[in-house]
Amino acid sequence: MKLLSSLKSGFIRSARAWRGIMIMWLSSLMLVSLVAIPLKHALKTDLGNSMITEKLAHGINIEVFADLGSSFRNLGSYFISGFMLIILIGFIINVFLTGGLFSNLRKSSLSFSIQEYLQASAKYFLPFLIVSVFISIIILFLFILICLIPLSIAVQAAASVEGALLKTAIVSGSVYLLLVAILLQVADYSRAWLVSSARPQSLKALGFGFKYTFRTFPSSYSLVLIILLVQFLFGWLVLHIIPGIKPTGEIGIIMLFVLSQSLFVIKIYLKTWRFGSMTNMMELNPLESSRSESR
Amino acid sequence: MKRISIITLLLFVTLVSGKAQIINKTHLSPRQTGYTIEARLNTESKTVNGDMKAFWVNLSTDTVSDIRLHMYMNAFKNRLSTLNQESPGYLSFKNSEKGSIEIKTFTDKLGNDLSRVMKYISPDDGNPNDQTVLKVILPRPAKPGDTVFINIGFETRLPAVIRRTGYSGDFYFVAQWFPKFGVYESKGMRYASEGAWNCHQFHANSEFYSNHSLYKVRITVPKNYVVGSGGLEMSEKESEKDPGEKTIDYRAEDIVDFAWTAWPGYSVFTDKWKNVNIRLLLPYERREQAERQFKAVKNALEYFDINVGSYPWPYLTIVDPPSIGDGAGGMEYTTLFTSSSLYMVPAFLHLPELVTIHEFGHAYFMGIMASNEFEEPWLDEGVNSFWEERIMDHYYGENSSLIDNPFLKIADKSLGRLNYVHSEGRQNVSNKEYSWNYPHGTYSMMSYNKTSTWLHTLMGIIGEETTNEIFREYYKRWAFKHPSGQDFVNVVNDVVARTKGSKFGPDMNWFFEQTLYGTGLCDYKVANIYNNKIESDGIGNKETQPKEKASASEEYRSVAELERAGEVMLPVDVLIHFNNGEEVTESWNGKSRFKDFEYRGARKIEWVKIDPEFKIRMDINYINNSMTVHPDQVPLRRLANKLITFMQFFISFISL
Repeated sequence: MKLLSSLKSGFIRSARAWRGIMIMWLSSLMLVSLVAIPLKHALKTDLGNSMITEKLAHGINIEVFADLGSSFRNLGSYFISGFMLIILIGFIINVFLTGGLFSNLRKSSLSFSIQEYLQASAKYFLPFLIVSVFISIIILFLFILICLIPLSIAVQAAASVEGALLKTAIVSGSVYLLLVAILLQVADYSRAWLVSSARPQSLKALGFGFKYTFRTFPSSYSLVLIILLVQFLFGWLVLHIIPGIKPTGEIGIIMLFVLSQSLFVIKIYLKTWRFGSMTNMMELNPLESSRSESR
Repeated sequence: MKRISIITLLLFVTLVSGKAQIINKTHLSPRQTGYTIEARLNTESKTVNGDMKAFWVNLSTDTVSDIRLHMYMNAFKNRLSTLNQESPGYLSFKNSEKGSIEIKTFTDKLGNDLSRVMKYISPDDGNPNDQTVLKVILPRPAKPGDTVFINIGFETRLPAVIRRTGYSGDFYFVAQWFPKFGVYESKGMRYASEGAWNCHQFHANSEFYSNHSLYKVRITVPKNYVVGSGGLEMSEKESEKDPGEKTIDYRAEDIVDFAWTAWPGYSVFTDKWKNVNIRLLLPYERREQAERQFKAVKNALEYFDINVGSYPWPYLTIVDPPSIGDGAGGMEYTTLFTSSSLYMVPAFLHLPELVTIHEFGHAYFMGIMASNEFEEPWLDEGVNSFWEERIMDHYYGENSSLIDNPFLKIADKSLGRLNYVHSEGRQNVSNKEYSWNYPHGTYSMMSYNKTSTWLHTLMGIIGEETTNEIFREYYKRWAFKHPSGQDFVNVVNDVVARTKGSKFGPDMNWFFEQTLYGTGLCDYKVANIYNNKIESDGIGNKETQPKEKASASEEYRSVAELERAGEVMLPVDVLIHFNNGEEVTESWNGKSRFKDFEYRGARKIEWVKIDPEFKIRMDINYINNSMTVHPDQVPLRRLANKLITFMQFFISFISL
């Protein structure tokens, strides 16, 4: 029952926090445009008035890009460095805005103030950053331990065991994803606790996160798995929709933009659903120590 | 005693010359050489012990004083072999992983010991440590028409899989494993000005050259091994010497090499195309790929049958080596070839199909038309790559023959072109060089990619049907012979003259001098488009960007300025599109450095395309082949749009 009510509550809370979601979407769009738009203009300059762009009508054409010669190498290096930079900035901005979002998810009213949202974001930025970095490091460590090391061994064994690499990748990847789902619970509980705490302390929050995770494990793990499954199916859908759309006119381009951005907003919504559901789950399972810390 | 010798000799001749026809009704080749080999695989010592009876017929008008034998396996014997010197570090340090071939006994038909008169020679580089060519002085020179018979007892130590031969665990691919005659080229054959043996050393960058031969091979292996070979299986029985072993008899006619494989883990599948029985050996784990492999090879059989000539043998063996033996993948032995695949290769990646089609194609270019791969590798690998790309395009999609995925589509021939036009060594050397002389890692690009690219270019100029006619004629004239590059050029000249008259000049040598034997680049570009309004005084005001449709009353002087930026001169089509919808196709012989196409009238040029159908695939830059006054930004916007979405999703995904 807790599972269903948390899912329902999370869904409603996320809907109420739609303005926060829109802020996240807008910031994301602006951020990636900083790399994508100059890249597009550089490509436009390199292609000049050529009609070779006709060869791009059906998608990426390696002959077009290869014929750019050294320009392509420059574009590639610009894209890689730019992308790395916006991954870093994007991570920080996400941490920042997630603080406002979690704070917003706790509210029962529909009222929304950008000022309050940003204030909450600023207030929880540092503890959220510590939690996010801590959990991310564990996720990275697990990736090395569960995926990279077995795969490296499998590469050596691939010559003697048929399909060793693929089989190892499937098993390692599955185990890794199941463990990441646990760490996501810890991160969500920690952040939900932080915005409910009078004195937001990140290390203490992590402690509560782990405690909540294992105390409510069956229901909260199921909840996270359900939402991750929905997210996975959604991602699969997006991967099958977007590449197949190849508009040839300006209106088509606008429609593609609207569609792809709408899909991205849904992606943020699904993530917010997880935040809201976990927040609700935490509220349904109060710990003694957290009660005393709560506002 | 003498009488017994004569009877023995007659029996011997009958045995090894194999006059009886079993596989085909008639001889396909002159069968200048033949081999009868009894081989036993020793899985403990990783050796093959063989007894070989072989013959060579002197079909020349020369009296030949010696014979030459390839001893390829000795290339893996020590680190001083020419192969290893040309590619340092190629050979393993471990003795157990080295390969060699040792002659135990060597006699002629009369029992004369020839081991005393044999010596290793290095005709290519004089390397005293290379033992890949054996010269044997004949006790009595072979006169025209004579047949030289030899008996050799040998032991081949297999290396850890290298250059598509050797062992890996309990997997064996046994190739280049027996003493094999070189090719005696009589005066007038290929480029020979006088009769001589053409028997090159084994090089890091080279393949092989052999006569079409008759093979009778008896192989003994442990019972649990599955065996595949380039021969037709005649019988299989339990070994007389050891009940734990089995002996299989194979026969092959008119093929240039005999290789075989043995591994207990093979699953065997069979299929048929017309009268050709196809046998596929692959690891059990890849059994779901059997249909893909059969489909690919049947596609190739069909395409070659229609466009080149028939596949003349009633059988074919495909081997997809397991992971442990992947070094044996992607090699051709006419009636047996190895493909290359992986466990669960996704359906959108046509890599197994590509390798299968390519390796099968060698049955034609090398197997049937047995060119000299040492000296003219392009005549095999390049020509075959051209056909591989055509077949892949035809059956798997013109733009998606290699990768057919919604995210990415790549055509086989695109990769081939790019490997040539963007290679840094594309001008280092011409195809006149022998294969081992291609410098700075250009062997593959020169042998495979450049040739396939200029062949596509040739097809673009003379047309697809004429191209097919050239290859039909090439097959007709040179099947089961040894064509040279010049022989191929001669066929092109004859067929083009016959089908196109003098449209391209008296011959096509101008094309081959620039592409096959030249090192220049091909690059045509549209330099500019002008649309100048003609005033009443007849002087045009320069206007490069037509902003609106010209009215009927306005006259323009419109010019398309073209340039030849490279050295190669080829005829090209130029398509010019005007703002009133009219289109004009001009022909430019492509010889001058500059070319202007000028038009006067109430219309303005909107866009110009040189080689609008991308027939000239040697052009190193397609981007400058066209110009428009209204560039289409939609593809770039779409690309940027999708890039933005991808980056957004990715950042959101990695953020908690």
